[in-house]
Amino acid sequence: MSAGGGGGAGGGAQKGGGSARPSGEAFWWALFSAGGVMAALFVPAFVIVTGFLLPAGDEMVAAERAAAFAQAAGWWPVKVALLGVITLSLFHCMHRIRHLLMDVGMRRYAGALKLPCYGGALALSGWAAWVLWGI
Amino acid sequence: MSENATITLELFRYHPETDSEPRYQSYEVPYDEDWVVLDAINWIKDHVDGTVTHRWSCRMGVCGSCGMMVNGEPKLTCAAFLKDYYPRPVRVDPLVNFPVERDLVVSMDGFMDKLEAVKPYIIRDDVNDTSQGEYRQTPAELARYKQFSMCINCMLCYAACPVVGHEEEFLGPAALALGHRYNKDSRDQGQSERLEVMLSSEAMWGCTFVGECTVVCPKHVDPAGAIQQAKAVGAQEFFKRFVMPKGAGS
Ligand code: SF4
Ligand code: FES
Repeated sequence: MSAGGGGGAGGGAQKGGGSARPSGEAFWWALFSAGGVMAALFVPAFVIVTGFLLPAGDEMVAAERAAAFAQAAGWWPVKVALLGVITLSLFHCMHRIRHLLMDVGMRRYAGALKLPCYGGALALSGWAAWVLWGI
Repeated sequence: MSENATITLELFRYHPETDSEPRYQSYEVPYDEDWVVLDAINWIKDHVDGTVTHRWSCRMGVCGSCGMMVNGEPKLTCAAFLKDYYPRPVRVDPLVNFPVERDLVVSMDGFMDKLEAVKPYIIRDDVNDTSQGEYRQTPAELARYKQFSMCINCMLCYAACPVVGHEEEFLGPAALALGHRYNKDSRDQGQSERLEVMLSSEAMWGCTFVGECTVVCPKHVDPAGAIQQAKAVGAQEFFKRFVMPKGAGS
């Protein structure tokens, strides 16, 4: 490492003062955090249930099971729950991707990245809602 | 290991008043398996080259002044044993992410400003006079912040954190953990004042949860954990202000 190092800790910090504006990052972080719980707890459960347990064993029985599951997904409280899990997981994922891009050198574009990242999460959530609506 | 075993230390050298560029200088140091990297540097300074400049004081992991990069990793040199590197050479650099003052000594100014910014002291609206006795605290109340109060300001976490290197506004692991430590102190009433600072743009939200601060911390402060907790407090605060906006911070 060269003398002079990075700018970081050598630079001044803003001194305390009542004028600092609370950042909207809090909002995105809250979605990220809630989505983290969803992605860690429910998504793996869904993968296990729909990917392994439902199709396991005898084909006819599996088909019946899958049909019963699909019918449950047509029930609106289930749709809402599924949409919640999907939407929050998407925001979690896109927030992580945005910060990953910031870590690999795109910190300057932190603001601009919000549109593709959170906009993408919103668009995919809209698509999920549309698909769920159609069930 | 022979009687006269030695180990090579490559020290980062830079004297800004005479050197146009930093360079590395190698020294052969007697190898003793009880020695730490700091002992070897002190031996060089005492016996070979008095111009080597480094900071140290307690030699027992308490003062936090001997932090340097040892083979690329931020370490307290008084706790980094030569035997963990022998027989390979040991390269010692000043902590990264800080401006170098001279040789292995870095400038702490920005770090001190950041510590100061989080108001690391107990803030009270009402100050009891001493005749009323102390502010009592239960063991459970102490336990809520004790871990975060163990910091020795060694700055290893700043050298380990990639965000510190990229984002000037980021207060950094130790300062955020310290701010959180006072926010969790039952005797304190200054949380909203501190949050004004901590929640502003990139001061805390710059953290991308890399977690290296917690890995390198010699005191098990877990600054990454403190920052996560502080973010949760910050998010609650955000929604609170959204639901019931109040005037300029009180
Ligand atoms: S939090 Fe740990 S690594 Fe960071 S300055 Fe304090 S003691 Fe050192
Ligand atoms: S000399 Fe005090 S912590 Fe290493």
